[in-house]
Amino acid sequence: MSEGYATENALVQEESDLYDRGLDAAIALTVVSFVLGMITLVKVVGLATSGGALTNFFVTLLAVVIGGVGVVGVFSWAGVIDITSQRVRGIALGGIVDLVVLTALVTVLDVTLATVLGLLLVAQAAIVALAGLASRFELVDTAPNMSAGLLAGGAFGALGLLVGAAVGGTLVGFDSMLWILVALAVGAGLLILTILPREDVGSTLPTALLVGLLGLVVATATIGVGWEWNPNALSGGFTGGAVIPTFVLFGSLLSNWAAAKCRAGFGAPGRQYGAFFVINLNAFMMVSVMATIVVFVTVKGIGYAFHGFTIGAPAALVVLLPLLVLAVNWARKPAGTDAWRTGARQLVRVLPLALVGSLAAVVASVSIRGSALTYPFTYTVQVNRQPKVLDTGISVTPDPTVGALLLTFSALLLFAYFGRAYGTLRGVGRDPSWVDTVKQGVALSVAAMAVLTVVFAVLSPSPFGLPLGGTVGLVVVVLGAVVAGGLSVAAVATPLRGGAGTSLGEGLHDYAQTVVIGLSGALALLTAVVFLEPTAGVNPSVGPADLVPIVALLTAVASVGVSVSAGHARRSAAELRRRVLGEEAVFGLATAAGALALLGVHVAATGANFTVVGLTVGTKGSFSWPMTMQSYVPLGAEPGGILPAIVGTVWLVVGATLFAVPLGVGAAVFLTEYAEQGAFTSLVEIATNALWSTPSVVFGLFGAAFLIPRLGGDRSLLAGMLVLGFMLLPLVLITSREAILAVPDEYRDASAALGVTKWETIRSVVLPAAMPGVITGVILGVGRIAGETAPLILVLGSTLNSSEPIAVLDGFTFTAAPPFVGNPALLAETASLPTQIWAVIAAGVSGSPSMGWATAFILLMVVLAFYAVGIVSRTFFRRKLNYE
Amino acid sequence: MSNTAADTEIDMDTDTETTTTTGESQEEVKAEWTDYDFAGQPKLSVENLNVWYGDDHALKDVSMDIPEESVTALIGPSGCGKSTYLRCLNRMNDRIKVANIDGSVELDGMEIYDTNTNLVELRKRVGMVFQAPNPFPKSIRDNISYGPRKHGDINKGFLARLLGQDDSDEEAELVERALKQAALWDEVSDRLDANALGLSGGQQQRLCIARCLATDPEVILMDEPASALDPIATAKIEDLIEDLAKDYTVVVVTHSMQQAARISDQTAVFLTGGELVEYDDTDKIFENPESQRVEDYITGKFG
Repeated sequence: MSEGYATENALVQEESDLYDRGLDAAIALTVVSFVLGMITLVKVVGLATSGGALTNFFVTLLAVVIGGVGVVGVFSWAGVIDITSQRVRGIALGGIVDLVVLTALVTVLDVTLATVLGLLLVAQAAIVALAGLASRFELVDTAPNMSAGLLAGGAFGALGLLVGAAVGGTLVGFDSMLWILVALAVGAGLLILTILPREDVGSTLPTALLVGLLGLVVATATIGVGWEWNPNALSGGFTGGAVIPTFVLFGSLLSNWAAAKCRAGFGAPGRQYGAFFVINLNAFMMVSVMATIVVFVTVKGIGYAFHGFTIGAPAALVVLLPLLVLAVNWARKPAGTDAWRTGARQLVRVLPLALVGSLAAVVASVSIRGSALTYPFTYTVQVNRQPKVLDTGISVTPDPTVGALLLTFSALLLFAYFGRAYGTLRGVGRDPSWVDTVKQGVALSVAAMAVLTVVFAVLSPSPFGLPLGGTVGLVVVVLGAVVAGGLSVAAVATPLRGGAGTSLGEGLHDYAQTVVIGLSGALALLTAVVFLEPTAGVNPSVGPADLVPIVALLTAVASVGVSVSAGHARRSAAELRRRVLGEEAVFGLATAAGALALLGVHVAATGANFTVVGLTVGTKGSFSWPMTMQSYVPLGAEPGGILPAIVGTVWLVVGATLFAVPLGVGAAVFLTEYAEQGAFTSLVEIATNALWSTPSVVFGLFGAAFLIPRLGGDRSLLAGMLVLGFMLLPLVLITSREAILAVPDEYRDASAALGVTKWETIRSVVLPAAMPGVITGVILGVGRIAGETAPLILVLGSTLNSSEPIAVLDGFTFTAAPPFVGNPALLAETASLPTQIWAVIAAGVSGSPSMGWATAFILLMVVLAFYAVGIVSRTFFRRKLNYE
Repeated sequence: MSNTAADTEIDMDTDTETTTTTGESQEEVKAEWTDYDFAGQPKLSVENLNVWYGDDHALKDVSMDIPEESVTALIGPSGCGKSTYLRCLNRMNDRIKVANIDGSVELDGMEIYDTNTNLVELRKRVGMVFQAPNPFPKSIRDNISYGPRKHGDINKGFLARLLGQDDSDEEAELVERALKQAALWDEVSDRLDANALGLSGGQQQRLCIARCLATDPEVILMDEPASALDPIATAKIEDLIEDLAKDYTVVVVTHSMQQAARISDQTAVFLTGGELVEYDDTDKIFENPESQRVEDYITGKFG
């Protein structure tokens, strides 16, 4: 029976091919019907589907299964993965055979999907019953226990009660008490049938009876698609559309369990195999519920979310460039390790690279051919309470304009990537002259500080009449600029003092460190200038020429030049031959990316377009995404966007996190490190858990009744932040507390034995070690509060009135008298994504459901983006704690 | 140099069988071994030290002087109170809430159980190495300089540079000195920025010793420092302890009698019930102990 025992001759059970293959096919059948149950439950395919449509569906399903099994089979054949289990092969082949038969059946017979599902259940029941009887009459070699056990008996007894009640109620009605007798009789019958006979009968026959009954009820359309049951006691009812998939799911699970038991020959292996399937299908059900929700929202919302999405081909290339770099990195990652052996893994590694590469090629062709690339689709909006179908699409146009923000974002991605690579390389060896160079740089920067401050003060239209906020920004920026300027001067000065190398490559290699500092200095200088411009109203220029982009581009070009030559020199050095890119090369690329980012910031800040070799960097660029870049237009014929809601949600999450994390972590430190375990800590624990379980609408009511009268009397962003902060607090507290408790006491002992005080120990050892756990808590909490609706309806304000995104950063005002800082924007009403969805859906006919779906889709993306940030920072802290 | 413990009452309930190899009484035994005379000055003198964990009397009336610049081994079966005793010497037992300590411990004649004792200063002078290596999840460099940085002896970071107080050079010297003292420098000098958890168990333990040395202690307490290590790492730790005894006062708890015999100058034997049964030169303890119980323990008949 079981090939697992094949090595022990005495334990090998006799193989019975028909029995084993048949049960493999039956298990496959139960899996197929389980999946069909899931599919029909979420209504991907209607239960009433029949004829050609049903054939098409099954052919598709067959193709998917053959494709999946085929791919796995090919990999298995190629030796990439190792599938030796007879059972897995049997189930895979059985699944294909089952689906072929099913497809043929639905082609020949004209039946609905519901009937097919019913027949599937009946077939499963029949196979399970036959297998059980075959085992009972010793036709096959099995090792059943004396009974299926009390647990199974109790379960079947309870199921029997339910079924008996339903059958009895239907036959004799619920008016007389007779149905109770029927229920009791059926329950007792199943109980006895399960417990008294040997295990092979006890676990198969009750299953077959139950599943067979369910199947017959569905197949004969006793409970059909149009079936409905509205019990008097319930306000709702049960419909065939929901009941049939539930029957199928339940029946397949049950027969799956029984068939798996039969297949493994009952006894302990049988229980093990049965549990294996039931547990796996349960997990599968959970994953598919999540996947279904995500896919459902995406399918419904993505069309509207991308309406009118346009991007210029050069802009698209700018976005694809960092992706290309990341894909290259992914493709070459395992080089030099043993893991990089099989062709298939290589394929997986190279696939994203190929994908991004071909995408880039397609986009580039748009520029060359000069014609747009459009993916068209339609969507429906409500115009004057009438649905109207609009044509739109996602377009890539040949327009040679790059948006400043797009450029900045992509360049920053590149900068981060290369910067990290540089840090990794730098850790390998240290140049002692580095310290000296920095010292010189600092000394020179002091001199430069004075000069630059004067220059900028003179250039500024109102040097000493600036508002306080501006002055603070100016001082900070000037300080940064000045340090940078000093560094760059030092960088130029140092090579001049020493001798030159024999060739350019070697020279650069010798002075790479200083050149690198020079470039970084220039970069920092640019940063300062770019940030100075809007604040001080300064725009350094020579005649009509704007200096910033010129310097930025020169820096970028110089950086690439340096990186190429230095990288070449490094590669030729024997000890570093194995490196793909040298230290300076990577730094040069990072500098170039940084310079490009600054160019983008410059254009965005000044509004001055910059054109070089036919490519223009402009404020807007040829990038348009109306859904996320425009404001909501109520009842408009033109579909608007949800920018105010996105901005509102981001601010809410940021505010709530800023409020809850310090408080929560602080309280967790107090509870774990300082407080004596006792009545007080128990009280805090109970209070925390109670706070976490408090319904969100109660938080909302509290905010509306308590906070709002104290915060200007009107619904506001600040009230929303605080209420969400209250909701986030308990989770941060609970998870931080657990994370801190998980820090080993050895660290605390070691620190105490060095004479370090408790607080220093907490700050320097305990909290860093607990950081990944704390961040996990914050991630979970943010995911929860970002989608919170009920309290926001009460405290945040009306979504549909917010036509402009809330400007929190610009809203700060400084005064000479207390309270010194104010921000009217925080006290204003605004929109958020969840309330936007609610408002759009609740607006009824005048609302636009497709916009609601699109908003939900974007909310999902925003939450996932917060998750991504959290996961990245958690990984960062974990890496820091563990050796690499 | 004589120990003044002889005038204290011996708990006869747990000690009825104690006789010497020559059949003398308990008091006579004690009179014999307490009349020792070690070479060095007493660095630590302990008098009538009692520790209770709740109702459990874990350490009973222990009195002993620990001479400076030598290795003192504490041996005895599990649960005999030797670790408890060790942890009393730098007041680590204060961290156990149920522990109740009574008696006197003097470091260079200064009472450490005085209420005004500066714990930071005490633990800087009396360092400790634990049974299991417990480096922080930080770089090797940061592990070593952790103590001095927290004590304000070494300043680092942005603010220090801004104020011109940057001690990076001092830190580098300190790290090198401590690692060389702990015989770890040659193995890790090229990866001081690597995480300490990436080192092997033996290296981690030597790092912990280096971390302890970095605060410039006078006494080093070691609680079975080699019990979690393989024989080769153990041998390195033992060599290290012998080297350290030239400049430091080392007190080491060990389960291995061979180890105690190899590395220590004097040995104290604790037996069940938390009493110090015998304390003398190591050679004397292992070759000709006064107490029958100690002889039984050392020869493996008991414990």
